[in-house]
This record gives sequence, C-alpha cells and structure tokens, in this order.
Amino acid sequence: MIASSPAPFGRVVATERRPNTAFEFHFWTSLDTPIGIGTIVRVVGDVPVGGARPTVYGVVTEGFAYTDLQTPLHDVLGHDGSPENPGYAATARAEIRLYTAAVLRQIPEEPLQPVPMGEVFLADDADVAVALRMDGYLKEGARTGVPVGVYRAGGMESPIYLDADFLVGPEAAHLNISGVSGLATKTSAVEWLLASLFAHFPAEKGSVAAICFNVKGPDLLFLDQPGKLDEADLALYERLEVPARPFDRVHYYAPYSAKGYSLATLRTHDALQHNVRPLQWGLNEVLQYAEVLLNKDDVDAKADALIDFIVERVVNKSFSDPLLKRAYQVRTFAELEEWFRDLLMAVEGKGSGDTWRTHHVATIRKVRNRLTNIALRCQGLVTDGTSTSDLPWGTFEDRAVYVVDVANLEEDAQDLIFARVVSKLREHLERRDLGVKHVVVFVDELNKYAPGDGQETYVRKMLLDIAERGRYLGLVLFGAQQFRSQVHRRVVGNSGTALYGRMDADELATPGYAVLSPAVKTKLATLAKGQLMVRHPHFTQPVFVRFPRPAVMTGREGVERFPQAAEPTLEAAVTRALRTLDPAVTLAWVQQTIALQDERAVLAARDRTLLTRPDDVRAYFAAQFRGIVTPRVVPTAPAAPPLRAVPADDPYGF
Amino acid sequence: MSEARHGETAPAPPAAQPAAPPAASLHVVRRRLRELLQGGLGDEAGAPLEAQSLGTPEAPRLVSAQPIEGHALRAVRTDTAPDAAPAVLVAFLDGTQASHVAHYDDGLPIVLGRVAAVVRARRGRTLHTWARPIVEHRLYAPCAHLSPATRAVLASAGVPVVDTTEPGPDGTVPAPHPLALLERAVHFVQADRERAERDLAERWCRRDGDGLRAALCVDGSIQGSEQLAAAPCVIGIVKSHRTMYAEGAALRTVLALARGERSTVFRVSVGRRQPVASWYLRLRDPAGRDPMWGLVRLEAALPDRGDAPAALTQRADAISRAVLAEVSPLSLPDARWDKLVYPIRDCEQFLRAVC
Repeated sequence: MIASSPAPFGRVVATERRPNTAFEFHFWTSLDTPIGIGTIVRVVGDVPVGGARPTVYGVVTEGFAYTDLQTPLHDVLGHDGSPENPGYAATARAEIRLYTAAVLRQIPEEPLQPVPMGEVFLADDADVAVALRMDGYLKEGARTGVPVGVYRAGGMESPIYLDADFLVGPEAAHLNISGVSGLATKTSAVEWLLASLFAHFPAEKGSVAAICFNVKGPDLLFLDQPGKLDEADLALYERLEVPARPFDRVHYYAPYSAKGYSLATLRTHDALQHNVRPLQWGLNEVLQYAEVLLNKDDVDAKADALIDFIVERVVNKSFSDPLLKRAYQVRTFAELEEWFRDLLMAVEGKGSGDTWRTHHVATIRKVRNRLTNIALRCQGLVTDGTSTSDLPWGTFEDRAVYVVDVANLEEDAQDLIFARVVSKLREHLERRDLGVKHVVVFVDELNKYAPGDGQETYVRKMLLDIAERGRYLGLVLFGAQQFRSQVHRRVVGNSGTALYGRMDADELATPGYAVLSPAVKTKLATLAKGQLMVRHPHFTQPVFVRFPRPAVMTGREGVERFPQAAEPTLEAAVTRALRTLDPAVTLAWVQQTIALQDERAVLAARDRTLLTRPDDVRAYFAAQFRGIVTPRVVPTAPAAPPLRAVPADDPYGF
Repeated sequence: MSEARHGETAPAPPAAQPAAPPAASLHVVRRRLRELLQGGLGDEAGAPLEAQSLGTPEAPRLVSAQPIEGHALRAVRTDTAPDAAPAVLVAFLDGTQASHVAHYDDGLPIVLGRVAAVVRARRGRTLHTWARPIVEHRLYAPCAHLSPATRAVLASAGVPVVDTTEPGPDGTVPAPHPLALLERAVHFVQADRERAERDLAERWCRRDGDGLRAALCVDGSIQGSEQLAAAPCVIGIVKSHRTMYAEGAALRTVLALARGERSTVFRVSVGRRQPVASWYLRLRDPAGRDPMWGLVRLEAALPDRGDAPAALTQRADAISRAVLAEVSPLSLPDARWDKLVYPIRDCEQFLRAVC
C-alpha cells in the first residue's frame, strides 16, 4: 500500500449557486489527481470550530471537467474547422476538474454544519475506517468485521469490512446482490463472501453454516474444487486474510431423476460422488407442505379439512373405521392410495349417502387425486415407498456448505424443496438443535421466487418470513437477482447489506436507484468483473470495492473437467451408488445380485442401503432380496437325434 | 505545435507563489469609512469608473514613422507554417485595474483603486503563475480639499492613501470638481497599474534568461520603461490603434495586410517615452471585417547599431511567427478576441479570480 501523501490534492469550493451542505460538498483538484467516482476523501476545515478544525469525510459521487470555452463553436473557429489543428496551439485551454462528494462522516459530529472550505486529502486506511464507521467494529477484542473487498483509489488500497452483527444478525441481517447475468458477479460474490464469513465470523458468536440452492446450471456444484487464481487475486486474499482455498466441508443434495437411476444433477462424475447424497422424501416429509403443491383455487375449505383429518388421524397412525374392513397403517404414498381406494369403494358401496364423516365423496376423490398426484409430479424427489434421504437436520457442521441442487427440477418440486428446507431450518433454529447457531440461505433468482407482483405463493411467504423474522433465529438470507426492482420490497428492504455488480441501464432507470447520482449510476452500468458497490448500515453512502475471484472452480470449468456421467443402466446406477459406501462393490456382483429382481425393489433396496449406511454394504443390500430365488443356470439336456427326413411326396409319413 | 516542442524551449519558471491576500475590498473600506465618517455610500458597487466615460478620449491620429527595415513601409510575408513557429513566448504579462468611489466627503470623491499584475509562464502547454502576482489597493483622495479630520480618518482606514490633488508638472492643484477629481483618480490608478506591470516585467528581465528564447509578452506598449524597451526578451503587443504609425501609402499597406503578413519594421519614439522597434502584424483574416480586424502592433527593443539588416528581418519574422502561433485557442467570449492572444486573456482571468 502506498502511504498517504500529506499534501492536499484539492480544495473545497462553494458558490452561491452550488453551496455546500452538511451532506454534500464540492472541491476542485489538479488535472492529474488520481481520483474518480467512489474515491473517499478527507477535508480539513480552514477555520476551527470549538477549538478544533473540523474533519469531514466524503465519497466522490459526481465529477465535472470543463474549460473556459463558452461554446463548442468557439473551439471549431479556433481550429479553423479542422480537428487536425489543435496540436498547433501553443497553449492548452484552462481546464478544471470539479467534484461533488457526499458526506460520509463529520468529526465532530455535533454541531452538524455545512462542509467548510478547506483542503482535501486522499483518505488512507485509517481515514477509510473512520469514514465508514468501521472503527466501531474493528476494535481489538470486539472485532466483528467481515472483509467484503478492498477499496482502491490513487494507489491506496484499504480493506472494507462488513459488520457481522449487521450481516448475520442480530442487529440487522441479510444480504441482497443485484447484477446482470453472465458476468460472474452474483455467484462469485456470494462464494467469496461465504469464504470470508467462514474465515472471519467471530468464534464467540457461535457456529455458522450455509445452505445454497443451486437453481441453474452448474454454478454451485464445484465449491470443493480449487479454482484458478492469479497473483492479483492471491494478493487480495492475503490482504483480506482469507484462505485462498475451496470450501473444506461441502455436502451436495439432489433428487433422483424421474427414472430413479441417477441423481438429477450435473455433478455425476465418479470422482465427485463422495459428498453427493440423494434428496428423497416420502409421505411424512411431504404431506405437511402439501399446500405448496396444491392449487388454492382447486383446494377449498372442505378439501383442507379432509387433508387436515388425514394428517391428524390417518398418516402414521393405526386407522380403523366401521366402514373399512381392516385397520390401516399409512406411511407411504402407496399406502395412502390404497386407503383412499378402499375408502371410496366402501363409501360408494354402502348405498347410504355420499358422505363419510361429513366429507363428501367428491371431496374425497378430489383430495385423493391431488395428494397421490404429488408423487407423480415430483417424481425423483418424492417416493412411493418408505426410503427417504434428507439433509442432516440436527447435525449441521460449523463452516459447512450444504448445496441443494434443484436446477433440473420442475417448478413444483423446486417449490416443495425450498419450502420444506426453510421450514425445517426455522423449526430447528427455534429449538436450537440444528447443530449450528446461524445458517445462511443463499437463493438466486429472487425475482422469480419472491417477485414484487403476482399472486401470493408459499415460497414467497417463506422468503418474506426469513427476511422479516429470520435474524432473531439466526436464519440469514443471501438473495441474488438480476432485477432488484422486481423483487418484493419487503425482501430487499429488510436486507441490511446490499451489493451491486454491473447493472442493466434499464434497471438503473427505475425509481429504486433515484438516490444515486448519475455518475454513480453510470459507473454501476460499467462495472468490471470483480467490482461491487456496497451498501451497509454503517456506511452512510455506497462504497465501491474490488473482491478476488472465488477460490473455487467455476461451474463452466467444472463441467468440462468433470463431465457428466452417461445415463447409467440400472445395474450401473446401483453399483455407483453402493460404491460411495463400499468401493469393493463391482458391477458383476450387482448384476448377479439383482438379476430377475423387480426394478422398484432394486431401487428401494439401494435407497435403504444408502440411508442406513451399513458396515457390510453388500450383505445388507443382498439381504433385501432373500425372498426371491436366485436364478441359476439350468444345464441343457442332450439334444435328441433328429428325425429321419421324409420324402416330400410321401403322403403317409413313412 | 506539439507539447514537446514548446517544452524544450521553455525555461522552467520559478515556483509560483500565491497572490498576496487582498488588503481590502470595496465593501470593507466603505463600511470602515461609514463607521468613521458617519454616513456614506451603500454597499452597491456599480460599474467601475474605468467603464464610465470620464474625460475626453485620445483623438485618433496618424503619425509618420521612420522605417528601419528597408526604406519604406511594405508588407512582408511571415512563414506561418507551424513547424516554423518558435516557442519564444514563454511568459505573458498583463495587469488589471478597477476603481470605485468608496465615499463622498462633502461631495468630493474618495476612490478605492485596485491594481493587479501577473506573469503567467508556460510549462508544457499550460500556464502557471510566475513569482508572486501583485495585488494592491489604495485610496485616492483629494487631500488638499479635505478637512484635517477626514485626512486623519483616511490615514487610519488601513489602506494606503494617494493624494489626487498633488500638483502637476505645472504646479497647479486641480479644482475640486468631482468629475475632474474622479478622472484624476483613475489616471493615478492607471499609473499604479502600469508601475505594477513594469515592476513584474523588470523582474522577469533580471532573471536568468536567454533573451528571445525566453521572451515575455507584455499586453500593451513597452515604451514606458527604459529597461523593458531595451530588453531583448520583452515583446509588447498593442491592440489599440488610436495612433497609427503610418500615413498615405504606408497606411494603405498596413490596412491591406493579409493574415500572416507583417509590415516592415519602423522606429517609434513618442515624447519622453523610450524608442522601440515596431511593426504591424495581421493575426486573422480580415475578409468581410473592418480593416483593424486581427491587426496588432508589436514592439521590441531596437536593434543594436552593429546588427546586420538581415538580423532585424529575421528577428521580426521570428517574433511575428511566435505571436501568430498564439492565435489558437481563441479568446472568446472576450470581445477583443481577434487581437487578444489566449495567454493574455488567461492573465486577466487569473487576476479576476484572485482579486
């Protein structure tokens, strides 16, 4: 870092037409001064107030350059209308650099006066800390700073910290990132910030983990693989004291594909299977969140009442009824379907009316249709059977990332996963038995999941709930979207911290950005990769920072280096799944073990084995087929000698 | 012309020093006099006296001048090709003045005059202040007609007092006519301005320079100072032509000069003022304009007696080309932009800013 020059590089100016206020001031500099939009400056007033010269910190929000030329026509005349002539002029016109800055902080803070005339200096490290009020949370012994990047200006490079109390709670919470797609800003920023958070989150504040929903492509599928970093990136990591390495603990979860052989994720390469788990839910896991998948217009109060009855009285209970011939134990969708079928047959067969326990038969049919349809609509995620695989509720690890890959799922399944995961997080955090004290939930495409308009959805309700009440629980939302203006105001409004990458000009024209100066908007529209504008509760004005490339492999590089495995056969799929538990499992053994077995039984056996994770994988897996005779090879009987050939014209066969 | 070409000929001027803080402003002096003399003018400054028609302006006249380059005044084509334009003009000097009535004492005007002068030297292609600019304020009062008490008050006003009733060369004291006193005050202010300009220009001449290669271009005539009129490093640009140094065919020749043409050099010697070499130069194309459009008269030191005639021609051409190189940028929106070179306007702008 270059030491701050003691020489002033500008002077504050004010005119009657453009006076300084307590929140904005103007200054001029020489032409070669290395400052620009976003530069932080320090003003020392000429006249002491209360015995001390006031100090004002500001950030440049607008810049002007002009000459003493009255109209462009004069310049044309001066060069005889030929642009080639300017070089002949012995004297360059008098020129000015005039800047407007927004006040970040005044010292003393009282009385709050208009910015006085004075000398302007480039802010150094200490100035930046004071200007952004970071000094309050970077004190030794009470340090809660989380580096978000470095601020660079005029050869200076100062780390910028977010306050963990205002990023993860409880003072404020949540982070929102906006930026156009395709510039590796949103995802990269979140990956970098998670690494920074894990490295700097104060131990005394407890443990922290992250759940990331991978909603598109391979964006978040290689967080455990090292990425390419250049010297500049490594220098930034060192400056910001964040280890330049991929995440230590990453766990991937993805539902099965519709066929059930492999997981519906791009992370299917054999070398990456050690931390990939299936996400599979049964009736118990899904029924509580059935309303996510049910159309409000379709399911009325009567249907709701029947669903409640089923949840309360039928599922996971021993249910019997005089109308039914036997008692039912409903634990799976298959068993629920069987219960519905028998119930309808009984109700319709008794001939004494169309109701059963006040529920009309039409309502029963409708609910049957809607509920049993869930397993079909969310095939791969929701199973008919009892084998389920879920996130490790209660045993979340500190500084671990849990990636739920929903990129290849239908919208219904995505909504279901999102609603259930968030609900479970909230339940466990309320009971303080999740395993960690704080959880960061990263959701991309917020304008899809929490739009500002459109009808109310379960997912939007959940996101609003996190945004408004999550910080008390330690549930923190890191949301990202291309168009902030299209996200629900309560979601973005409750985000204490906001990051902006390169923005679309149309988006910047929306009212939400009216507080930014035209120069800041223009800068936002032209930000390079790795640059962000940061708003944070401690910062009275937005600050531009640069952050390093994440130390993880990009999705694009990941899919090239670890190409997706081909759609396997049943035997190969089972072999691959079991090998994650026991590398000694071979394809031949699997082929022999599951020969002649029903496909659904094989997949159920695989799922149960993966769920149980037995010591002897092969024995456990094979034991599930004992009721079926193992096919054996029947020796072929000796062939009988062929009959003697009969003449074609012999009518008697002799 | 490239920056490097200008830079390589420009000697580095000494570090600029800030202008001296104004000793007084019109408002401050008026307030002070109001306090001391009970009553007086309001704070409204109005137009300076220089902008008002005081006295009779000098009548336009033609004066015959003695050619020293050849035997008759004729037009000479200077080479205006950029490559041939030497960067001899590295510094520019101009002064300003402003006079306002600060108080009327029994109807007699007491004038606050401000004079200022600056040298702006070129470093690369930008102009920087050389040395400390001069900014001075004085009260110009008809002391002979004021009461002792008023004179005592003026002496305590914190601004130097100049007596505008000082007897002239003929020993007469001006009558207490307010307009005559105002006119005399303005003349005194003008004299102080010329002295300030002269002081700065003479300091430039005393510096370690190398003659024409570090020339100072002065706005106006250089005949007022013996040292300046003889200095090889000083060039005067006269924009006013109330006195034309040509008659008859010579006048027609001067008025017909085309852009880039100069007249031959003649000697100018007026009264007790110092003689100098002078010639006319057309800076801009006068087609469709008045005959004086873009016409300036340059002044420089007379050649030494031993100099060859060719040396005078060469020197006049070099200076003319240097001045022609200053036609861009334009000095617009100044009304005198056809004759006012941009660096001189820069001096005026600078003084306007610091005064």
